[in-house]
Formats: sequence, C-alpha cells, structure tokens
Amino acid sequence: MLKDITFGQYYSANSPIHRADPRMKIVLLITAIVFIFLSKNMYALLFSCVFVLAVLLISKVPFKIYLKNLKAILPILIFTAIINMFYSDGTANKLFSIWKLTVTDAGLYRAVFMATRIILLIFISSVLTYTTTPNDLTDALEKLLSPLKYIGLKTAVHTLAMMMTIALRFIPTLVEEAEKIMNAQKARGADFENGSLKDRAKALIPILIPLLISSVRRAYELAEAMECRCYNGGEGKTRMKQLRLKPMDYVICFITVLFCVGIILINLI
Amino acid sequence: MSVLEVKNLTHCYGGNTPFINDAVSDVSFTVESGEIIGIIGHTGSGKSTLVSHLNGLLKPTDGTVLIEEKDIWENPKEIRKIRSKVGLVFQYPEYQLFEETVFDDIAFGPKNMGLSGDELKKRVTEICEIIGIKPEYLEKSPFDLSGGEKRRVAIAGVMAMRPQIIVFDEPIAGLDPKGRQDIMKIISEYRKATGATVIIISHSMEDMAMFTDKLLVMSRGKLVIFDKTENVFKNGKELQKIGLNVPIVTRVFYKLKEMGIDVPLDVFTVEKAVEVLKNAKAGDRNA
Repeated sequence: MLKDITFGQYYSANSPIHRADPRMKIVLLITAIVFIFLSKNMYALLFSCVFVLAVLLISKVPFKIYLKNLKAILPILIFTAIINMFYSDGTANKLFSIWKLTVTDAGLYRAVFMATRIILLIFISSVLTYTTTPNDLTDALEKLLSPLKYIGLKTAVHTLAMMMTIALRFIPTLVEEAEKIMNAQKARGADFENGSLKDRAKALIPILIPLLISSVRRAYELAEAMECRCYNGGEGKTRMKQLRLKPMDYVICFITVLFCVGIILINLI
Repeated sequence: MSVLEVKNLTHCYGGNTPFINDAVSDVSFTVESGEIIGIIGHTGSGKSTLVSHLNGLLKPTDGTVLIEEKDIWENPKEIRKIRSKVGLVFQYPEYQLFEETVFDDIAFGPKNMGLSGDELKKRVTEICEIIGIKPEYLEKSPFDLSGGEKRRVAIAGVMAMRPQIIVFDEPIAGLDPKGRQDIMKIISEYRKATGATVIIISHSMEDMAMFTDKLLVMSRGKLVIFDKTENVFKNGKELQKIGLNVPIVTRVFYKLKEMGIDVPLDVFTVEKAVEVLKNAKAGDRNA
C-alpha cells in the first residue's frame, strides 16, 4: 500500500530536454508560463497549444503520464470552468439559463479559454518535474536563488537547498521504515483495516510514534556524520557536478524566445 | 504432527511492473512440532520474504502455507488469528516500541488478541518471569532502557501472545556478546516453558550449530538444503559454494586435518571441540 506513493516524478529518458541545464529549464518554464497567460486571443492560445505539445513530444515522456498528472487537478479544472461559464458582463448573448444563473456565449468562451490555459500550465510544468531529477532541481534552485546573498540572506539559500535535498533523500527511507514498523505491529496483531474511523486513527499511533522517534534519531546521526565531514554550511563548498550551459541550452532558450515573440505578435492581431 | 508446512511457495515482488522479481521461488518444507529450525542464506536470498509468509504478512503469489494442516489463507478475514499463533520478531525489534511503559508495550499484542484485565496482567507477568524481566522494569518507559533491554522487551511483546511457532529474523544482530547470549537464552527459556517451535534466521554459524536441530539453506530465493544441522555442516563445500561457511571451530579442524593431524571433521561447537581434543590428548598418553 505504501509502495504506491511515488515520489519525485522523474521519468528517465534521453531527450534534449532531459539533458538541458536545470537552471535554464526553470527560467524558461517561468517565462513560458507568463507568456501562456499573456495570450489574449484565441490564435495566441492556439499557438501556445502547439508550442506546449511540441515540448511534450520532444521530452519523450509518454503522453499517458502527462494525462495522469492532469487527473489530479481535474476537480479544480471543472470548478474553474463552471464558475467562468456563469460569469459575464451584460452585453453578451444569452444562450440558456439554469435557475437564476445565465450562461452566455462570452461566458462559455471564457470557460473554455481558462480551462485550456490551466491544462497548458499543468503540462508545461510537468515537463520540468518529469525531465529533471529532484537533486538537479534543488541544485538549480540554489544557484538561481544565490543572488539573495547580497541582501543579507547569505546562508539561508544554501541551508534551504540542503534542507530540500535532505527531505527528498529521506522520503523513500521513511516510507521503507514505516512499512517495516507497520509489519512489526501487524505481527503483534494490530489491525489497520477494520473498525471505525476513530479506531483506525488510533491504530496509527503504534506506527507514528516509532517513526517519529527513528526520524529524530536519524536526524542526529546525519548531523553528526555531516559534522564529521567538516560540513559548515555553504561557505567554500565546491561541487563535483558543476552546472555549465551547453550549446543545446542556448538553442532551447532561443526557441522559447521565439515563442514569446510569437505570442506578442499574435496578440496584436 | 507437522505444525507448519510450506508447499511450493513462490512470491514475486512488483507484479505488474517491469521490475518483476522472484524473491522466493518454489520453496517447500515441513516443520515438526517443537523443532528448532535455522534459516541461513546470503543477504537478499529471500529469507525475510519467506518468513513474512508464515504469519500471513505477505500473501504467496503461488503455493500454500499450512499451520496445523490448515491453509492460513483459507479465510482471509481470520488472518489476524494466525498472527497470534505464529509470532514474528523482526530485525531490530526495539524500533517497534511505542507505549509509555514497558508493561503497556508487552501488553499490546495480547490486547489485540482481545485479552483484558487480570488475564492480560497475568499474561504479561508470566512472560516476564519466563524471560527474566524484573517487575520493577514494568513501570519504566521503554525508551529509558539500554539497547539490549529494549530488544528483550520487544521480544517479550511477541512472546506474550504465546505463539506456538515463533520466528526470529536475526535476533542477535548488533548486540554485544553478553546481549547475544541473553537473547539466545530467553529463546530457549520460552521454548522450555511453552514447547513452542522456533525458527531463527541468523548469520552466525556458531549459534546455528549450537542451537538448531535443522538448517534450511536459501540461495537466490530457492531452498538449497533442508537437513539436520550436522549433516548440513558436514557438507562444508556445498555451503562455501553459495558463499556461506561452516562454524569457525570447524574450520580450525579442517586446517588441523590439512596439517596432517588425525582429527574428525564433524566438530561444530566449541564444547564438542574441547571433548574431542581431550580424548585425543588421553589417547596420546595411552600410546
């Protein structure tokens, strides 16, 4: 049951997007999102669709996997669409009405428009998480946030990135540990499947307490091990894997810039 | 009567993923009541997966597990009853402690069986007497105990359910020699008091030679040998082939034989070695 928890959505494949510099990917993702939201008319949105679909294809991650991601957000999507459907100004043509709510053509158009935008947003963001390992992501975030050190947050950026890395690293360990403890308590006759909601919540105590205790123990051990290796925060720390921009990164950057220019031009129509 | 029978047990992890993996494949064996069985094998040879089937924590992909000649999965709803018949003590069981007092923690298992009040108290005090946990410990917090004591309490927690079969997954891992002796002692005390069948997974060939009647040797998910302990150790070559070994004292005798000294090779415990050497000395004097 715990094995179903997938974490880090990284999907291993060999595509130009997988190989691209994670810093570049984050910056370009943010840019692309901004411009998808700047699409004012239908043509611009259509152009965004084409762009996003192309990116999905290049990423070599099966489309099915992207759809899975969409499923999680479906309720929000439907909710937004419905709210938008009923929202319009007085000038629009009335199509039909339910109870006191009127649906107009402008409202319907807006609903479809908003839904498409959200779908595109989900797709393009999943490209980042599917093609970048969690470790690369935190490395890139640390690099991107490093300017913060000039405004007095010298150690904060590194500490934050280290915390993220450690948290990500220990999720599988904790899942494994939870499973072990669960089995041990089951062997002592604990029952997690039956009983009322209250009983079931109570049944979690024999898992949560040992898990908490072992996390604290692990944290102490890790801190000690890090200190033994002279860890003293980010200062003077070098990396084995240096992030360097490659020619391909510039190509990807150029394509994204083309997309942005395209959106601006189409918006003028 | 066979108290436990495993028939053609196969378990594969990751059923519908590309990472299909037979952790245990086609294992069959029978255990008679009151026997002490040792399970040896490499890390990852399927020992732990195998024992997780004995109390129904895992459901076999194929094959059956029979306790007292009844299939444990005959009625899946009753699987929790099997867990009080077959006790399973995991590796590092001290990590499963969670209650405020030692008493409450030992009582967790019996409580889950539906015991309460005086009956529950009797269970706990009885098991503490058998394995030597002093009454003043019962009110302490389990987290204030030393490592060895914690493990003893955790084992008591399983024993308090009075299982007829009790399985230990590496019960002495990470303990000092005194702690190891203590654990092995409480296992024999429990057995003496209840006549239970004991199954032990361990990497210590010395302990296996000392305590077990039969040995079950696993390699890559398959049962390779299941025989009387002395017969298994007599076939030292077979064990070495799959990366296991015979007790150190036996290796000493192999070496002596190589050096041209006439000694028997079926010496598996230190006691036996002392006896053999004494006899040899007496023989020398007589000659």
